[in-house]
Amino acid sequence: MLKHLRQSGTLIGLLGIVLFFALQLPDTFLTARNLLNVSQQISMLAVTAFTMTIVMVMGDFDLSVGSTASLAGIVAAVLFAAGWPVWAGVAAALAIGVVGGLLNGALVAYVGILPFIATLGTLTIFSGTAFLVSDGKTIFGRDIPPGFAGFARSGVTLTEGVTVPAMSIAAVLVLLVVYVTLEHTIYGRRLYAIGGNVHAAELAGLNVRRLRLSAFALTGLGAAMAGLMYASRVASANPTQGAGLMLDAIAAVFLGMTMGRQGEPHVMATLVGVLILGILDNGLTQMNVDSYVREILIGGIVVAAVAMSSYGRARG
Amino acid sequence: MKLTILATAAAIAWSGTTLSAETVAVITPYLAQPGTQAYVEGFQAKAAEAGWTVNVIDTAGDVAAVISRIEDAVTQKVDAIVINVDPAQVAAGLQTAKDAGIPVIGMDAGTDPLLVTNVTSNGYAMATETSVYLANRIGGKGGVVMFVFDAFPPVQIRGVMADAVFANYPDIKVIDRITPDVQDGGIADSRAKMEAILAANPEPGSIAGVWAAWDQPALGALQAIEAAGRQGEGIVVTGIDANPQAREAIAAGGNFEASMAQDFVAMGAAAADATRRAMAGETIKEKVIYVPTVLITAANAAP
Repeated sequence: MLKHLRQSGTLIGLLGIVLFFALQLPDTFLTARNLLNVSQQISMLAVTAFTMTIVMVMGDFDLSVGSTASLAGIVAAVLFAAGWPVWAGVAAALAIGVVGGLLNGALVAYVGILPFIATLGTLTIFSGTAFLVSDGKTIFGRDIPPGFAGFARSGVTLTEGVTVPAMSIAAVLVLLVVYVTLEHTIYGRRLYAIGGNVHAAELAGLNVRRLRLSAFALTGLGAAMAGLMYASRVASANPTQGAGLMLDAIAAVFLGMTMGRQGEPHVMATLVGVLILGILDNGLTQMNVDSYVREILIGGIVVAAVAMSSYGRARG
Repeated sequence: MKLTILATAAAIAWSGTTLSAETVAVITPYLAQPGTQAYVEGFQAKAAEAGWTVNVIDTAGDVAAVISRIEDAVTQKVDAIVINVDPAQVAAGLQTAKDAGIPVIGMDAGTDPLLVTNVTSNGYAMATETSVYLANRIGGKGGVVMFVFDAFPPVQIRGVMADAVFANYPDIKVIDRITPDVQDGGIADSRAKMEAILAANPEPGSIAGVWAAWDQPALGALQAIEAAGRQGEGIVVTGIDANPQAREAIAAGGNFEASMAQDFVAMGAAAADATRRAMAGETIKEKVIYVPTVLITAANAAP
């Protein structure tokens, strides 16, 4: 009973938050339009957090996702400005994300540097590269093709006035791909095995190094995708614009981990974490709550959820 | 009697709630910057007088979050939105507000068709004032060195005005029009460029003035003049923006004599005024509303 309560505490918290806002904002909160807005607002964080879950399954994590996102946006924008077509700029930016992820993976898996230090280093490298490539400037206006900026404003219209944003659809697709990869493939089982006990995984004959390398590459690819979505939404690219994604993504995964049987991350649980963060932002803004109070609240909720979960686990 | 008092109290309470019905969201990624804080201060003072509910939202540097918060404010059906961010980057949010019929006012944001108006300082006027100050101080004659930056539109318009003013004095000769490298903040490279010009013009009096489109090159030029030991020649240096370092140099009474200060608090107040007009349903014809700036000299440089 206690165990179930601990595992589902975060989910109950999300439902509580939704109920609270539904009562406080009866006219506006639970409307299709607002919920679709929320889904679009969280889409960039969602993609970052979903793919962050892949490395966190192994007990690693990636601090460089924010600067990878910034760099991807900058690379695409610079190439657009140089006359590249949209698909080519996007492909190059995604490739940069994979290369960055491979660098992280190589440092962690083959050189043997702790993920915290390795990705702290690459965070600075990617951020510096973004500044260097862009001359520190924001790239906007005519340099950003309408076809690229239009993506964030497009969507699938279901009925009159109800349009599912393309960004939300992209996030759901990433969710499904990560879900199937982690939960329903041998590859995913192996990543969980590494997270459970890396030595046992090695003894069982898994190629731990290659698995970690590939997992970091996937996280880098996701970060680059989130960076492109961000650049499309603001129709511009700035060398620091992805910076806020990293801490929120890690917070979302941690929130989700409180729902794991052994405290391990699952991507559907990460979704709950992302929803908590996004809905708090949306609802508290509508309730005129000070933005700094909002930050304190969000931090408090993350700490409280994780504390409750580890307290519950300690008592069995 | 008792009933009347009760009725009056109820009426007051009722009117109180209806009068404070207007809700305004002020959204910016830059609240941590001193200038932005001053705008918000000026805005809130006016809003408090009018009895508005103001929700100041700081997205801590996150521009996409500004779009999200604009969407939330539209969902919340606020009466007006004020932004302090490049409108081109948040066009998606501005379109949502426009579709909902909610006016958005720019507070030093930039001009955009989706904004009702933008409140800012007049860069043309600021440059005119410092260049005329310089021309008058050197008696309308002599060599002038210009520091410009045409790649950045808000600074480019300053250079245009100074060009026109100096060209209008037949005895003023522009010795050089320099674009400093701004990677290091603009002071060091401006100093190096100015040292080269001082070396190329060794006769005392050959350089009458230095006009800089912003403060950093003026500070660099001042350092070069002092390092070359030529501060006694009466070279007049002017900047724009009146940052703290520039104010200090101007107050010291050396060659750096003048700069222009923007009145951020007044900009906030003017944005509140434009918000009031927009909420009253008035069509604001001015796409840009300029707030007066102040010439800073040794007489008023103390911050």
